[in-house]
Amino acid sequence: MRLAKYVKFREEKFGGVLFETRTEKVLTLNTTAAAVVREIQAGCAEADIAARVKERFEGDHGAIEREVNEFIADLRRRGLAED
Amino acid sequence: MTSLGTAATVAPPEPESQHLGAPLYVAWQITNECNLACLHCIEESGPGKKFKDELDDSQVFSVLDQMMALDIPYLSFSGGEPMVHPRFFEMTEYVCERGAQLKVETNGHYLTPDNCARLRDLGVKAVQVSLDGATRATFNRIRVLGEFDRAVEGIRNLHAAGVPVEINFSPTSFNIREIGAVVDLAHELGAYSFYTGRTMYTGNAVKAWRHLEVADAQYEEFFDTLRAKAEEYAGRMRVNFHEAGLLEELRYRLREPAALLIVLPNGLVKLINALPFICGDLRRQTLAEVWSNFQRAWRDPRVAEFVDDLARDPGRTRVLHQWVHV
Repeated sequence: MRLAKYVKFREEKFGGVLFETRTEKVLTLNTTAAAVVREIQAGCAEADIAARVKERFEGDHGAIEREVNEFIADLRRRGLAED
Repeated sequence: MTSLGTAATVAPPEPESQHLGAPLYVAWQITNECNLACLHCIEESGPGKKFKDELDDSQVFSVLDQMMALDIPYLSFSGGEPMVHPRFFEMTEYVCERGAQLKVETNGHYLTPDNCARLRDLGVKAVQVSLDGATRATFNRIRVLGEFDRAVEGIRNLHAAGVPVEINFSPTSFNIREIGAVVDLAHELGAYSFYTGRTMYTGNAVKAWRHLEVADAQYEEFFDTLRAKAEEYAGRMRVNFHEAGLLEELRYRLREPAALLIVLPNGLVKLINALPFICGDLRRQTLAEVWSNFQRAWRDPRVAEFVDDLARDPGRTRVLHQWVHV
C-alpha cells in the first residue's frame, strides 16, 4: 500500500496534513492518523500497520485496531491511498 | 500519548494556517516578463516588464532550498510568463527532483513538443494554460500579442506528451458568451480540470475596464452555464468555478487565511493576491521568518480595514500594486 501519486503528507505538531494536489484539498490528521500515514509511507504492510500503531499509543487496543482499519479504508475510498 | 479517537478519520476541514509549521502552498511569480500584454493582466506583465530587482540565480535557488527544507508540498510557477525565465527548467527540475509537486501556469505559447516532453520527464504535476476564448478572434483580442492557434497547439502538445492539463478562463464582456464552448474545447483538448471565476478590477484591467466589465446579468448566465457544464462533465473533467465575489472571499480569508504564500519576482511576499499587503522579503528574511510574519500579519488591523473599505468602494482594488508592508 502507498499514498496515491498526487498526495503529499507533512507532519505537524498536531499530527499532520494530507494534501491532494489534483483537487487542491487539504485534510487534517491527528497524531495517530499521522502515525498510520507514516507507516504507509515507510512501506509497512497493511496487515501490520495496526499492530505498529498500537505499540505507540495507549488505550483500548481493540478500538485502535478497528479505527486504524476504518481509517485505511477511508483513505482508500477517497483515493488517497492505493495498492 | 493519545488515543486514536474519532478524529483519526480523515477530517474535511482545512487546517488553520496559524497551527501549521510552514505554508502548504507557494504561488511564485518567477518573473514579470511576458511575451503577451493581456488586457486583463492583474500583474501588468508584458514585454519589457521584468522587474529591475527580480531575484538573481543564487537568491532563487536559496529560496528553493528553504522551500524544500520546510517540506512545502505544493508550488506553482507563474508570472508574467514563467517559461521565459532563463532558469525555468532548472528551477522546475530542482523542485520535482526533491519530491514537491509543481504546477506551471502559462499562456501556452512555449509549449513545443520538446518542452512538453521535458516537463513530462521532470514530473510536473500539471500545466495550467490560459484559454480566454473559444475562437481566434476573441482570444487574440484579450491576449494582446497572443495567438489562439499557438496556445491550442501547445495544449495539444502537452496532452500528447502525457502532461496533465488544466485550463483557466478569465471572463470579460466580449468572451463570456463563449464559456460553454471553451469548456467543451478544454475537454476535447484533454484537460482534466477547468478553472474560472470573476475577473478582477486591477492591473491592466483598470485601463481596459470599459471593454472588459461584465454585467451582473452576464455573470448569472455564465455561472448557470458552468453549473450545467460541471454536471455534464462530472467524472470526466472537473469544472471549478468561484462564484463568490472578491469581498466575500476576503472576509472568509480574514477568518481562515489559506496557508498560501504569494511570492513576487523580487522576493517580496504578499498576504494574498487580492490585497496590497506585503508580509515579507525573501532577499532579507528567511522563509521561516516570512511565514511567521504571515501568520501575524493577517491580524494586522490595516488588513481588515482595507477589506471594510472595499465594501464601500470596490474600486479600491485598483491600488493593489501600491504595496503596504505589514
